[in-house]
Amino acid sequence: MNRTLIRKTLFILALVAASAFAIVRRPIRLGLDLRGGASLILRVKVDDSASPEQRRDVVEQTRQVLERRINAYGLAEAPVQPYGSRGNELLVQLPGVHDPSRIQSIVQSRAVLEWYAVEEGPYATRADAMAQHGGILPYDRKLLATRPAADGRQSWYVARSRPVVRGTDLRDARVAADSMGQPVTTFSLSQDAAARFEQYTRANIGRRAAIVLDQEILSVPVIEDAIRDSGQIRGARNLEEAQDLAVNLRSGALPAAIEIVQTRTVEASLGADSIRHGVQAGAAGLAAVVAVMLLYYRWAGANATLALLLNGVLLIAALACFGAVLTLPGIAGVVLTIGMAVDSNVLIFERIREELRGGKSTGAALAAGFSKAFDTLVDTHVTTVVSCAFLFLFGTPAVKGFAATLVIGLLTNLFTSVFVSRVAFDWELSSRRRGTELSIGLAR
Amino acid sequence: MELFKDTRFDFLGRKWWFILPSLILTFAGLASLLIKGGPLYSIDFRGGAVMDVRCDGAPPIERIRTAVSNRLTGVSVVAAHDLTGSNEVLVSAQLPAEGDLSELRQTIDQALSTVMTKYSIRDFEVIGPQIGADLRRQALMATAGASAGMLLYLGWRFRLVYGAAAVVAMVHDAFITVGVFSLLDQEISLTVVAALLTLIGYSMNDTIVVFDRIRENRHTSGREPLAVTMNRSINQTLSRTVLTSGLTLLTALSLFLFGGPVLHGFSLALVIGIVTGTFSSVFIASPILLAWEQWRAGSRALRVPLPTVEPTGGVR
Repeated sequence: MNRTLIRKTLFILALVAASAFAIVRRPIRLGLDLRGGASLILRVKVDDSASPEQRRDVVEQTRQVLERRINAYGLAEAPVQPYGSRGNELLVQLPGVHDPSRIQSIVQSRAVLEWYAVEEGPYATRADAMAQHGGILPYDRKLLATRPAADGRQSWYVARSRPVVRGTDLRDARVAADSMGQPVTTFSLSQDAAARFEQYTRANIGRRAAIVLDQEILSVPVIEDAIRDSGQIRGARNLEEAQDLAVNLRSGALPAAIEIVQTRTVEASLGADSIRHGVQAGAAGLAAVVAVMLLYYRWAGANATLALLLNGVLLIAALACFGAVLTLPGIAGVVLTIGMAVDSNVLIFERIREELRGGKSTGAALAAGFSKAFDTLVDTHVTTVVSCAFLFLFGTPAVKGFAATLVIGLLTNLFTSVFVSRVAFDWELSSRRRGTELSIGLAR
Repeated sequence: MELFKDTRFDFLGRKWWFILPSLILTFAGLASLLIKGGPLYSIDFRGGAVMDVRCDGAPPIERIRTAVSNRLTGVSVVAAHDLTGSNEVLVSAQLPAEGDLSELRQTIDQALSTVMTKYSIRDFEVIGPQIGADLRRQALMATAGASAGMLLYLGWRFRLVYGAAAVVAMVHDAFITVGVFSLLDQEISLTVVAALLTLIGYSMNDTIVVFDRIRENRHTSGREPLAVTMNRSINQTLSRTVLTSGLTLLTALSLFLFGGPVLHGFSLALVIGIVTGTFSSVFIASPILLAWEQWRAGSRALRVPLPTVEPTGGVR
């Protein structure tokens, strides 16, 4: 037996084993369109007057706050990424999240918590409140409304315009149950804010304060005692809402308002359907290709099938290693790779046939076929890689997934069609007696 | 098995038989594009909302359309393309000028609840107008960039005229695909553009195999007329061309038939593009190359110099 041939075979086997190991150890992650969830593109509303550096800072802070929030929601594998060329857009992916109102509470509530000293109120309407001051509020007062109740009613209060405690003064926020068993969000203040707060509450016992979140009054408690560094927020409709508020307060306030410019929510069942469709299409395509190859090239067709299957294993392993995300267009890329990968084998086989017809011996025809087809193979692969490279201009994860799959598939294909097929042919030759013909479907 | 054994079709002599259908298709596509005011872009490129709703039983499409139209503009309701008949409809609408994108879902949901009691929202997508405009620009840049990249590569590997001929064939393929989409009233979505870019690469790939052989044969052809050499090259690569296109077409077809509604446009573009891509490398790219070389030979009254490449040994 030929030593080099055995070495090459061992190399291929080792590669297959390594690929199998990689696939088992790091299963491929599914994209949102396959597993269900929400994907959003957000625009950070930065003041036009801000300098480029300030804008970048605000966007980066927003990104970090959102990331902290999402991680706190237990969606740890979802980083918030910068998106697009404008510099103020962010891509957020939330696997398994479907409830639109929850998505909104995660990304759009600014979570600016403030305490205001209440001067007057409540009034039933804004007009009533204004009427008390002859239509114009004093410069150091502001009008605040409560969060609308279930029936849409609000009441209005006049408060001092400068808040006692600001959103940035918070140190921590948790969920607890109050004496009635209702969920409340408790918070604690940073040191200097606590000192300010204590001074204020001590001086204002018996008066009212407004706890305000994102410019909406949550509650108007009467100050009963001096409070040092912690407080409670009541008024959550359920436990989840109290928890969301705690998370948002803990992760910090968003430095700017956010506008949703694109959303997509996919139900998990649709993703499962897509996977099923993709697998069916792949199986049908593979069966058709293998049938044609076996019919047309006989044993050499089996050789090509081996290369094709190996290509599939290497492709999936490579995707797993690079941590690529498999999307539906990615699956389409895999299916398409089946058709395009076999192209290399056909190119080589046709060349071998030509050399055989030209009267060369089996061994010489094999060598000539592989070496002459190689240049053409490189050319054809480069063109597809070039067009895929330009697909990366699109930031969308689905299109990137498709391009990545196709490129990796073509690279592994170069290896399987040139190296693996050659080794398989060499085995076929060495296992037969000299002078027998190569089974490549050629009638002589 | 051998399909094409020692064929000697005169492809270049009968080129007009083949160029004519291609011209007819091109002009039909062009006419359709002009009449319909450009290609039909999906919401990926123009912004809007689309919702995939699965109904319990046959969907009352007309009533859904009326209910949603009462609340939003630019509403269209169509059955989702699916061979299994899963009672799914796609509801799409323009974005309202005012209001937040996140309220759209509720608006459509409310409209649906007046028509049906049991349904589920499987997929909902809203794309703001600016994102759509961005994607349109990126699609153009990507297509132009990919074409330029290939022209450069082919210019470097072969000669510029080879590259130019291949790029003309490629533009032909892309244009026919877009034209057929317009004729069939199919939307151009982001995945369709991805398919188009893949086709650009595929069309090139196919042309290169033929050109590679033409270049190789020109070294050994002696005083043989160029048309004869090119014909011989096309015939020699014919079985490969037909076989590989056929196999890639098989996988694209299986995507089209089994890949589900989401990949419908994508796989349709692939099927059209693979057919025209194969066709164009033989009947568009090669005649252009021949015409160019003959014109040059005529204008200089000289035999065309051979490209400077190492001889790679005789064929036959």
